[in-house]
Amino acid sequence: MIMFFSSPSDVKNNGHRRFFPYCHIILIPRGVSGHESGGITTFFARRFHHVTDHSCAIIMGSGDSTLSKIPNVEELMEETGFSPAHVVRLYERFQALDKSKKGQLSRKDFESIKELATNPIRDRIIGAFFAQGQEMVDFHTFVRILAHFRPVDKNRPKKANMQEPVNSRTSKLRFAFQLYDQDNDGKISRNELLQVLRTMLEMQVTDEQLESIADRTIQEADLDGDNAISFDEFRKSLEKVNIDHKMSIRFLR
Amino acid sequence: MALGRLALGTVGASRRVSLQRGLLFLCALVLLLLSEAVEPLGASGSPGGAGDSSGGSHGLQKGCEADVTKSKHPTNRTKKPFPVLSFDYEHVKTPFEISLWVLLASLMKLGFHLIPRLSSIVPESCLLIVVGLLVGGLIKVVGETPPVLDSQVFFLFLLPPIILDAGYFLPIRPFSENLGTILMFAVVGTLWNSFFMGGLLYGVCQIKGTDLNTVNLLACLLFGSIISAVDPVAVLAVFEEIHINELLHILVFGESLLNDAVTVVLYHLFEEYAGVGSVSILDVFLGVVCFLVVALGGVLVGAFYGILAAFTSRFTSHTRVIEPLFVFVYSYMAYLSAEVFHLSGIMALIACGAVMRPYVEANISHKSHTTIKYFLKMWSSVSETLIFIFLGVSTVAGNHSWNWTFVTVTIILCLVSRVLGVVGLTYVINKFRIVKLTTKDQFIVAYGGLRGAIAFSLGYLLDKSHFPMRDMFLTAIITVIFFTVFVQGMTIRPLVDLLAVKKKQETKRSINEEIHTQFLDHLLTGIEDICGHYGHHHWKDKLNRFNKKYVKKCLIAGERSKEPQLIAFYHKMEMKQAIELVESGGGVKLPSAVPSTVSMQNIQPKKPPSDRAIPQISKGREEEIRKILRNNLQKTRQRLRSYNRHTLVADPYEDGWNDLLFKRQKLMEIEKKMSKMSNYLTVPAAAPDSPTLSRARLASDPQAYSSKPTSDDLPTIKVDLASPQSPDSVNLVNEFQKAATQNDPDDDGGLVMKVPFADKDQGEQDNKKEQQRLMRCLSDPGPGGDEEEDEPFLP
Repeated sequence: MIMFFSSPSDVKNNGHRRFFPYCHIILIPRGVSGHESGGITTFFARRFHHVTDHSCAIIMGSGDSTLSKIPNVEELMEETGFSPAHVVRLYERFQALDKSKKGQLSRKDFESIKELATNPIRDRIIGAFFAQGQEMVDFHTFVRILAHFRPVDKNRPKKANMQEPVNSRTSKLRFAFQLYDQDNDGKISRNELLQVLRTMLEMQVTDEQLESIADRTIQEADLDGDNAISFDEFRKSLEKVNIDHKMSIRFLR
Repeated sequence: MALGRLALGTVGASRRVSLQRGLLFLCALVLLLLSEAVEPLGASGSPGGAGDSSGGSHGLQKGCEADVTKSKHPTNRTKKPFPVLSFDYEHVKTPFEISLWVLLASLMKLGFHLIPRLSSIVPESCLLIVVGLLVGGLIKVVGETPPVLDSQVFFLFLLPPIILDAGYFLPIRPFSENLGTILMFAVVGTLWNSFFMGGLLYGVCQIKGTDLNTVNLLACLLFGSIISAVDPVAVLAVFEEIHINELLHILVFGESLLNDAVTVVLYHLFEEYAGVGSVSILDVFLGVVCFLVVALGGVLVGAFYGILAAFTSRFTSHTRVIEPLFVFVYSYMAYLSAEVFHLSGIMALIACGAVMRPYVEANISHKSHTTIKYFLKMWSSVSETLIFIFLGVSTVAGNHSWNWTFVTVTIILCLVSRVLGVVGLTYVINKFRIVKLTTKDQFIVAYGGLRGAIAFSLGYLLDKSHFPMRDMFLTAIITVIFFTVFVQGMTIRPLVDLLAVKKKQETKRSINEEIHTQFLDHLLTGIEDICGHYGHHHWKDKLNRFNKKYVKKCLIAGERSKEPQLIAFYHKMEMKQAIELVESGGGVKLPSAVPSTVSMQNIQPKKPPSDRAIPQISKGREEEIRKILRNNLQKTRQRLRSYNRHTLVADPYEDGWNDLLFKRQKLMEIEKKMSKMSNYLTVPAAAPDSPTLSRARLASDPQAYSSKPTSDDLPTIKVDLASPQSPDSVNLVNEFQKAATQNDPDDDGGLVMKVPFADKDQGEQDNKKEQQRLMRCLSDPGPGGDEEEDEPFLP
């Protein structure tokens, strides 16, 4: 028997639980222990053992119905540090975006987000979700990309064998850097910078102005004189900026 | 040349004098009202009397002594002839005394900074209070009643400049990013402090044998609400000196600003009910509503006046001289209007300043901006000085009733409740913050909770008929103020060092930071949208769009309303650098004895100096060009310094400046390419003034160059005679940066004027160096060292 705190969305599906909108107990019969629910069970069981970590003591979000649909959810959470509630939330969002219901998102799906339409760097943001040569994004990639924006939590115990977490300062910066560096040569060239500036400033400035700004920018950041900004130079120029803060979205905690 | 230097010097000096005079007049104006409200200053009864002109103060005595000699003259009037010289001190008494006070305050401030070791150990605020104590003591010894810091004067005249200064230059970004935390500390923290202190004090008062049984609960709560508010004046005075990191500064300072609403409401509430004696649930509810009205009302009033000011500044392009005035008057109106309804005047001022600033700055000229900045800083620093001095004087002047129990308990409770409040609140806040507050941060926030003159003035306002224990309260308040300002204020700097709390970094933003920050903002907004979460960034983006689409169009005149933020920033930066260059070009920053490497390193610490070959010119021609350039430079400067009463002379630093910047940059570009070419082809390059393109550009820009006879020469050859990057400095830096420079043959320095530097022709170079030296000797010293634009202003 496992106790779940369910979200209201779960309640809609099961009318008889309406009186206990946020908290209910589910009995999982032994016979049902299929591959997915088994994973879930062990996952929660493990979570409950770590009750000392107070953030895990209460599991919010929905129960098996959503989580169990996601394959390898446990691994995903381990890797990205998202809590079940976040994964569920993101999964719901993912499904809402996935118009074709194939479990994958295409560029079109992203482009149809209407709030995104006004974003000057929309194409770059969308592009960041697609690995080289890929046309579709599955849920795991989606979550992994978003994990860059998870705030850094110092309380979470660090595991020795883990590689650098995806939401560290460096990987956040790396992510931003790659948005500039569209040809992936490890440098922001003058042209790449010009492109970014042009999209950000839209039509309001002359090319002349843009170029002088770009030159100025490169000249300021460029330490080794190759007329481009390398990742190290990029990082250096943002030394004083609190990236942990600037590149974190609170609700993804 | 020497003559020119002289002329420049005097012009500069007279300008400064007029500024100072303006200062005095303004403050006199402020203090005119001060002295009317202040209890009669010392010499009140007998202004003309020669014998007993003991003077209201230290400074006043001097003035009266001068008067004594004068007054002898007209006494021998037998036939009543037409008085050639008459004496009427009464006529000018009030403004005269005010001026003396201001003078005393300013001189004291000046004096402290002449003793460097003293000001590094003791905060200025402490010293000023001590001076106040001494002056007060002196007045008392002489047998007069020293003036007391009158609440009316304090709230109407002394406080607003300080708050406006804070509000106008409020760092919006960190403030809005930490608004939740600040509000939490300001509202909940202050409430907690008030009630905790009030309650416990009442408990202490009930203990038998303390002679405090007459103090009732409401009075205790009122006292708690007065004493619990962190004071912006005190915080500013101390925190500006310790240069703490931006986050902590904005937390403590923001709290001190925003807790005003809570204090105002609690104060009026308790004062109201102290007469009645009973409080019902309804009253509590009304109190909460009142708080919301006071806070939001204040902000709304402020925002309203801010928008009005911005709108007005849209139309000031023809009368630049009165531009700054609008900023001051509208803000003051906002403050007064808020006070009319007992709304939070401080909130109104902050909102007004913060709302108007971006638009006003886009509209007004650069000079007006500088004027605003200096006026605000000057005003606030004089106000601050006066406040601290008067605190000292009032301590001597006031009636005290010292009660050991009450005072010690108050101090202890102040500390305890502050620490408990901060720790408790941070525990809650940290659950929501992305960047957590560490224990060190908490300590500094708790320790930085200084009390100040606002508490004193509120206490002073208490009605003695309702609060028979007013004197005791005042004594306790003064003690707490002294304790926090002296003990905490003096120890906070060593503690900050000891704890290795992060200090403030250089605030100069680079263009890289600006671009990347904006990029990241867009990125995060996009990510939030992808997640379908309407968070912080989403709304900020919405607001920005709204601002860009509608508000800017209404409030900013002309082309600049469409100017993206980045471009504006870029212009500002370029301008700053250009001004820096001009200033340092005049030899301001480099004392002639010191080699210019110092300033070179200051200005461009990292960048390797670029030595690129330039087209070679004959020496004779070069000399000629230099002369012309020099003359032009001086002319420009003279024009800059010239003063006209009603209009400001159009100068290249304002109108048409932006165009100029880009054009210049473009020119450099062309020249760079040219020089590169000449490098590769080893063809003697054309004379530098030959590119037709550059000439065409110049011709199209008559504004900037109209007055210069040989203007064609100016931009293409960059011979900045006494610029920090004179050849010697380049050489010195070269020694250890050779490798870098070799990799970097054409690092173009934007607007930075570069000294032509032929790396091949050593002989020529040496020759040039000599010439440069000569030139520097001849060059005028320029006006006194103007501070760099965004340097943290040290009062």
